[in-house]
Amino acid sequence: MHAIATRGLTKVYKNLTKGNKRSLDELSIHIREGEVFGFLGHNGAGKTTTIKILCGLVRQSAGEASLFGIDVRDPASRAKLGYLPEQPYFYEYLTPRETIEFYGRLRGRTPQQRAEDWERLSLLLDLRDIAEQRIKGFSKGMRQRIGFAVALVGDPPLLILDEPMSGLDPVGRRSIRQLILRCRDEGKTLFFSSHVLGDVEQICDRVSILSRGKLVREGRIGQLLGEEPHGVEVVATGLNEVSRAPIAAAAREHRTHEGQDVFVFDEAAAAQEAARAILDSGAALESVTPLKQSLEEFFMKEHGATAAGAGA
Amino acid sequence: MRIWIVALNTFRESVRDKVLYVLLLFALTAVLGSKAIGWISIGQDIKIVKDFTLASMSVFGALIAIFVGTSLLYKEIDKRTLYTILSQPMRRWEFVLGKYLGLGLLLGLVVLVMALVSGLYLLVLGGKPDAAYFLAALLIYWKLLLVTSFAVLLSSMASPILGAIVVFALYVFGHATGVFLDLPAQFDGTFSKTLLEGLYYAFPNLGNFDIRAEAANGVPINPSYVLFALAYGTLYSAAVLIAAVWAFENKDV
Ligand SMILES: Nc1ncnc2c1ncn2[C@@H]1O[C@H](COP(=O)(O)OP(=O)(O)O)[C@@H](O)[C@H]1O
Ligand SMILES: [Mg+2]
Repeated sequence: MHAIATRGLTKVYKNLTKGNKRSLDELSIHIREGEVFGFLGHNGAGKTTTIKILCGLVRQSAGEASLFGIDVRDPASRAKLGYLPEQPYFYEYLTPRETIEFYGRLRGRTPQQRAEDWERLSLLLDLRDIAEQRIKGFSKGMRQRIGFAVALVGDPPLLILDEPMSGLDPVGRRSIRQLILRCRDEGKTLFFSSHVLGDVEQICDRVSILSRGKLVREGRIGQLLGEEPHGVEVVATGLNEVSRAPIAAAAREHRTHEGQDVFVFDEAAAAQEAARAILDSGAALESVTPLKQSLEEFFMKEHGATAAGAGA
Repeated sequence: MRIWIVALNTFRESVRDKVLYVLLLFALTAVLGSKAIGWISIGQDIKIVKDFTLASMSVFGALIAIFVGTSLLYKEIDKRTLYTILSQPMRRWEFVLGKYLGLGLLLGLVVLVMALVSGLYLLVLGGKPDAAYFLAALLIYWKLLLVTSFAVLLSSMASPILGAIVVFALYVFGHATGVFLDLPAQFDGTFSKTLLEGLYYAFPNLGNFDIRAEAANGVPINPSYVLFALAYGTLYSAAVLIAAVWAFENKDV
């Protein structure tokens, strides 16, 4: 069974004055139990919309979605779910301790379990010093910690986190990343959205990339990057004019840099041929390097492609 | 019981809100100040004090019902506090009923405090806070619950300001539904007449909850009338709450 499954999930926001907005278009994804899944996309791609449907806040216009096989329209599907909203808001008149208590009650935890929840979560998220202060006036980082604690009340096996690291300082980002890894080690399934790729690259098993409401890529990060090699770079020194011209003509890119010729080829075969030609001409072959594409570049290219497609 | 958890938390929110104490202070001042009006009409003290304290329960209670009630759901949507609540394994109607019940608890407390304080005050003045007086207070409470259900309905659809205006209008016209029938004879048989008659029966008749004059004048109150008014309020509130739940059920938040 999948922790999360969607099929043809579509959302059209109806608005009388601004017209209808198709924010999610036939999204089909499957997240296995125990996976750390990154849900990528630029602002407005439809990440939050998807997450809100999964968490029962927004009703889909078409398609299906389920958590552990239970339709998201059934509140029972949320029994195993912990959710951290994009910007978590809590009752300002409550203290962190009362907040954890309140959500524990809503989840039907016994008094004993609620006491354990507080012991565990206040330690994990460092809430003890602020336990008795009202949330009103707390900083973004403190609220994020409370939000994480609330998501972990009752120790749910599935966590859905909407941009958990955005708006935090480097220290805050790191501690969230550690929390995610810790939850993964406990065997939880994690689904989190982000438009910042650095974090995703390091901690996710798989990612999917969303652009303008459509799924454009899905898979392991290495596999996604491997699918489209960025090219092969060939560097030579001491090339003469006559042998340089045909090689440069076959290359995608040619530049000279500190007396070296740098060629970039799309295909590995073409690069090999060029290397042979360089050696045959008597010049020195300095290096042949496959260019590894970063996720950032990949992401930008994908976004650019769909943006151009939509504009045409 | 999740409804109850939401209700208690809503109650706690109002209790921690200082505005409430200001209102309650006003209300109690009004109760105690009623003696001042009593002086003007000599020999009528007790009657006037009863009349006036019941009237202030109604007005201050309605102010709380309208101002707290019309922002009850709206504030949760606007401040996004319901993201982490509706994503719990709970049903939306449990949330709506919980919010309603929380405010109902608060109003119950307000009416109770006012009734007890004014009852004591009547004793001090040498009057007798009898059953009729407390029955009148009970019906006022029931009326406030009906007003609250309208406020909750509005708060799932409109801004608190618009909601407050609508519910306030309902409160005012609800006490004067007779105007719908007071048409000159030339309207007999016209469509407007039928429409207004329809409105008369559909509109919440808050006058049904008003036994203030009887209570003030010591006229005995028919228990079956009280039962009628309680049943009327219960059924009407239930219908409005069903509408509120329905409006909230499929809302994207
Ligand atoms: N309630 C709404 N009504 C109308 N349009 C909305 C609503 N919520 C989001 N949108 C639109 O849907 C698109 C996707 O938004 P969102 O899911 O928040 O994207 P992301 O989280 O990836 O930044 C955006 O263009 C946004 O303007
Ligand atoms: Mg978002």
